[in-house]
Amino acid sequence: MDIQFEKVSYTYQVNTPFSYQALKDINLEIKTGEFVAIVGHTGSGKSTLLQHINGLLLPTEGRVQVGDFLLSRKNKRQDLKKLREKAGVVFQYPEHQLFEETVERDISFGLKNFQVPADEIQTRIMDALEKVHLSEDVLAKSPFELSGGQMRRVAIAGVLAMNPEVLILDEPTAGLDPKGQQDIMNMFNHLHKTKNMTTILVTHQMNHALAYADHIFVLADGSVQMEGTPKQIFSQADELKKANLDMPDVLSLIKRINQMFGTDIAYERRQPAALAKEIAERLRENKRL
Amino acid sequence: MKSFMIIGQFVPGNSMVHRLDPRSKLMVIFTFVIIVFFANNSVSYGWLTLFALILILLTKLHIGYILKGITPVWFLIIFTFILHLIITKEGPVLIDIGGFAIHKGGVLQGLTISWRFFLLVLVTSLLTLTTSPMEITDAIEELLAPFKKIKVPVHELALMMSISLRFIPTLLDETEKISKAQASRGVDLRTGSIKDRVYAIVPLLVPLFISAFKRAEDLAMAMEARGYRGSEGRTKLRQLQFKKLDYMAMIIYLLIILIFFSLR
Repeated sequence: MDIQFEKVSYTYQVNTPFSYQALKDINLEIKTGEFVAIVGHTGSGKSTLLQHINGLLLPTEGRVQVGDFLLSRKNKRQDLKKLREKAGVVFQYPEHQLFEETVERDISFGLKNFQVPADEIQTRIMDALEKVHLSEDVLAKSPFELSGGQMRRVAIAGVLAMNPEVLILDEPTAGLDPKGQQDIMNMFNHLHKTKNMTTILVTHQMNHALAYADHIFVLADGSVQMEGTPKQIFSQADELKKANLDMPDVLSLIKRINQMFGTDIAYERRQPAALAKEIAERLRENKRL
Repeated sequence: MKSFMIIGQFVPGNSMVHRLDPRSKLMVIFTFVIIVFFANNSVSYGWLTLFALILILLTKLHIGYILKGITPVWFLIIFTFILHLIITKEGPVLIDIGGFAIHKGGVLQGLTISWRFFLLVLVTSLLTLTTSPMEITDAIEELLAPFKKIKVPVHELALMMSISLRFIPTLLDETEKISKAQASRGVDLRTGSIKDRVYAIVPLLVPLFISAFKRAEDLAMAMEARGYRGSEGRTKLRQLQFKKLDYMAMIIYLLIILIFFSLR
């Protein structure tokens, strides 16, 4: 499903003293199968933007096209449920939405709402569990006796079980320890690669945007300030600073090394080990000079 | 959902009404609530309505905003009107539909009662619109202070009130977040049979309760960590103080009440 925003503006609490414009004239396009990162400082409108993709919010002005669905104020009455089945959202702290007595029932909750046939539900649950790397023993447990990280996986499984074509992630790593963050991000990346799932990651972690995204949109003050490939975006450090965002750690490190030793090492999405090897080699050469 | 939930939502400002001491405002509202019930003819109702209108003008808030804010109460007001219309059997019959008679007394009674109700809601909503929840609880604590002598836990009551008021917006935000998350999982609160809709509330309420209990626990912990031990020896950062504006407002209000009683 291609996603297209056309001149989208959104204002919260229109016609009250609290009215606040969160999105201003947004134009953007996300192609099927892309991994897109939407980055921005707190309050830049990231979360508001993502809620437009599955019709939780309708634009005050402009329109959003998601596959066959056209979302706009003039076009209110349509079956948003169908859209929500295809565009799954993992909200920030998704474990807060758990409520059922057992993990199994919680994962199947969405499936039942979307009227998935009963004989298919079981396979979908097992499938989702495998995707989030949880064992079958958790199925009969109450979600509230699990650890924080496990609860989050259960909540994510609940979204993945719907087999969405588009997966929207709102800060999926918030509040996790570094190891947990990496596990979860690798899991989403794997899903994206193997299932060709369109993935939209909303984050303020530049490291994640750099490591996984094909395309990045930088939001500032409710408008798209920059867009491009990670390479294009992160080569404009000054522009990025204007949006109150940092450079990813790896890039800052490489930049400093290049400056200090006059080398020209490039990141090229390599793992730390591979990068370290090149850095070591280059420094050795450097010494000989 | 939040757009019409403005009963009791404080709108910061710097109007004369905003600057009044919360105790004065509370006393005015409290007496007004009683006085409304003494109105017995159109002139006295008119006088009170005029008073309410002037109050609204003084708050410098948009009148449409205030009227829209009491939307949920409109239903009750209209319901009261219809109830009186049907039940009261006084005076000449105006309309008779198949043994279902509407009397003139019913129309009058319905109008006065619902107008009274409307005035009450309007004026009390002005209090919360122009006074921060903190100010209101401070004022209540001060005004009720004499009851401490007969062992009424005034401070604890005030604290409970301010905590619950403080958490209303938080809980509303939370409700909105969870309902959006469940809507993304296919919950539909707007359509379907009544039974379906009642069941659809469960996925909303359970997470809400869980987070509310967690929050309460965290709050208690944080308060104890900062040495909270109840009201004993506790001082206030902002002391309430009556100013010239308050004395003037009180005198004018007294005059208004006197004129009101002479109009009855």
